Amino acid sequence: MRLLDVVNLTVSFVQHEGVVQAVRGMTLHLDAGESLGIVGESGSGKSVTCMAALRLLREPPAKIAADRLDLGGVDVLAARGRDLAALRGRVAAMIFQDPMTAFDPSFTIGHQIVETIQAHRATAKAQARAEAEALLRRVEIKNAGGVLDAYPHQLSGGMLQRAMIAMALSCQPQVLFADEPTTALDVTIQAQILQLIKELQAEMGMGLIMVTHDLGVVAETVDRVLVMYGGRAMEQGPVQKIFDAPLHPYTQALLASIPGRVAGRQRLVEIAGASPNPANPPKGCPFHPRCAVAEARCGVEAPAFQTVTAGRDAACWRLQ
Amino acid sequence: MIVYILKRLASIALTFTVVSVIVFLMMHAVPGGPFDGNDMPVSDEVKAKLNASLGLDRPLYVQYFKYMWGVLHFDFGVPFQSPGETVLELLGRAWPPSLILGGAGVLIGAPLGILLGMAAALRRNTWVDYLASAFATLGLTIPVFVTSMLLILVFAVWLDWLPASGWGKPYSWVLPIVAYATIPLATYARYTRSAMLDVLNKPFVTVLRAKGLSERRIIFQHVLRNAALPMVTVFLPMFIGTATGSIFVEAMFRVPGLGAYFVSSINLRDYALEMALILMITMMFCVSYLISDILYALLNPRIRTGGRRG
Ligand SMILES: Nc1ncnc2c1ncn2[C@@H]1O[C@H](COP(=O)(O)OP(=O)(O)O)[C@@H](O)[C@H]1O
Ligand SMILES: [Mg+2]
Repeated sequence: MRLLDVVNLTVSFVQHEGVVQAVRGMTLHLDAGESLGIVGESGSGKSVTCMAALRLLREPPAKIAADRLDLGGVDVLAARGRDLAALRGRVAAMIFQDPMTAFDPSFTIGHQIVETIQAHRATAKAQARAEAEALLRRVEIKNAGGVLDAYPHQLSGGMLQRAMIAMALSCQPQVLFADEPTTALDVTIQAQILQLIKELQAEMGMGLIMVTHDLGVVAETVDRVLVMYGGRAMEQGPVQKIFDAPLHPYTQALLASIPGRVAGRQRLVEIAGASPNPANPPKGCPFHPRCAVAEARCGVEAPAFQTVTAGRDAACWRLQ
Repeated sequence: MIVYILKRLASIALTFTVVSVIVFLMMHAVPGGPFDGNDMPVSDEVKAKLNASLGLDRPLYVQYFKYMWGVLHFDFGVPFQSPGETVLELLGRAWPPSLILGGAGVLIGAPLGILLGMAAALRRNTWVDYLASAFATLGLTIPVFVTSMLLILVFAVWLDWLPASGWGKPYSWVLPIVAYATIPLATYARYTRSAMLDVLNKPFVTVLRAKGLSERRIIFQHVLRNAALPMVTVFLPMFIGTATGSIFVEAMFRVPGLGAYFVSSINLRDYALEMALILMITMMFCVSYLISDILYALLNPRIRTGGRRG
């Protein structure tokens, strides 16, 4: 079953200084139980894509349009307040980059997990609390009872991210969006958190969208990867195939720029040239100013994101 | 917490002493004395006698200790400008109108201001916000005596619904209270708006939405609770600060309140009354800061739990 189906998504922010085109025609999909990694440099529109899928951007200034934006079979663009609230947390949950600022500082962790459960299911408080404690134990928090009654400022970043995962999973969502869930954490804890997310995904059979700018993370946690650049999808396909034989010149440059990538855990190294300015994006393919094999038409019209071989799509004139 | 409160009480006592010394010195440093007025000339001889009878010829520090000793026994002396009563009796007579004016003004203005500020923050960058902000800016920039004059003109002169001045039957209180209420209304509206917007822009609000909480729950439980934190520290002192009423409003509407005495006690070198008024205000501010700090600590888990990340 198709859990997330996004066709030609555009997101722009209307500001005094002008319009920022953060996402310019994104297409992506996710099936039940599948895991997809979204990779791209900082500013390529990964977070905005995820936020738009849950309609979490403030509109205005954000302006969202798409040929299709379906989440769990519901047209997200047509949904209004109450319907959106019912989708969020229940059909799709999200965990964020900085766990330190993700909880309301005025309430305990327990309170915040309990209110999530109660928002979606008629559950007695004691029952919800027991569930919350079980969830905290499941995310490998040893002192689950103590953490339940702790305020956010009393816990470490790693602990908070675990609690955040517990909270996100409290209503058994079908899709989990994880937006750079380990970027703000200590290196030693990053691997544990990734392992935990992977385990829970398999255990609960949920779909996973793992946003990252770390190709090592992608290699370890997901089945399929989508490469984003300048607010567009450049290439998508099974992880192993893309790592072995990237189709798009951007993906090729990306992989080539990582020394000893087989060892994993390497951050993206910048490719020569600057990434496109979303306030004034280049005409045509967003990558053409930095592309070693660009042709004349690359700067005129953007190539369509289309199937190259079975299960693999790319947006490049050389592949059409 | 107990230790904290005791420490704060000690610091209040210190503040109080320092303020009393400074005010006492400043008061006496201003040239002239209570019997130097021109409308009732007294010979130097009589002046010296009067000064001696009031102890004004003694060294300053003796006068200070004598006065403070009285204060500790709730004896604030006798106001020179109204020698038939004690300072306390004068305050007991003149304070209630000011208290009613200030108290009612804040009780009406503050909640309206808070509601206005909330509406502006929740509907930011819409006409609701622009209208509320324009209203608040007007309230803060138009001097209160202009507001008073407008009110008198419309409701007393043109419509003839309410008296233009005086402080008799409660309906005569209406115009001065409304005039005064515009100040807390505007101030609280602005402050509430910015406190709410501050919280609404926090990342945790996005997380609350992502969990599927209703917008109502997000606003009323989470945003308001967090916005209340910076608000209590400002609101309570402001609230208590108004207990002395408004000199301008009282003058415009001829309210027989404390306002006039602030001015006259300085002009007439009425040392006892001047001291009493200033000490009273100092004490009220100190106590209100203490209460709001305690409230802040109670509302803020970071302070309440005293815990650190670990
Ligand atoms: N609320 C916003 N207002 C204006 N511009 C925004 C906003 N959010 C994101 N952007 C812009 O959109 C682009 C994509 O951002 P984002 O999706 O956060 O990138 P990333 O791939 O690093 O997650 C960036 O250029 C960013 O500056
Ligand atoms: Mg991001």
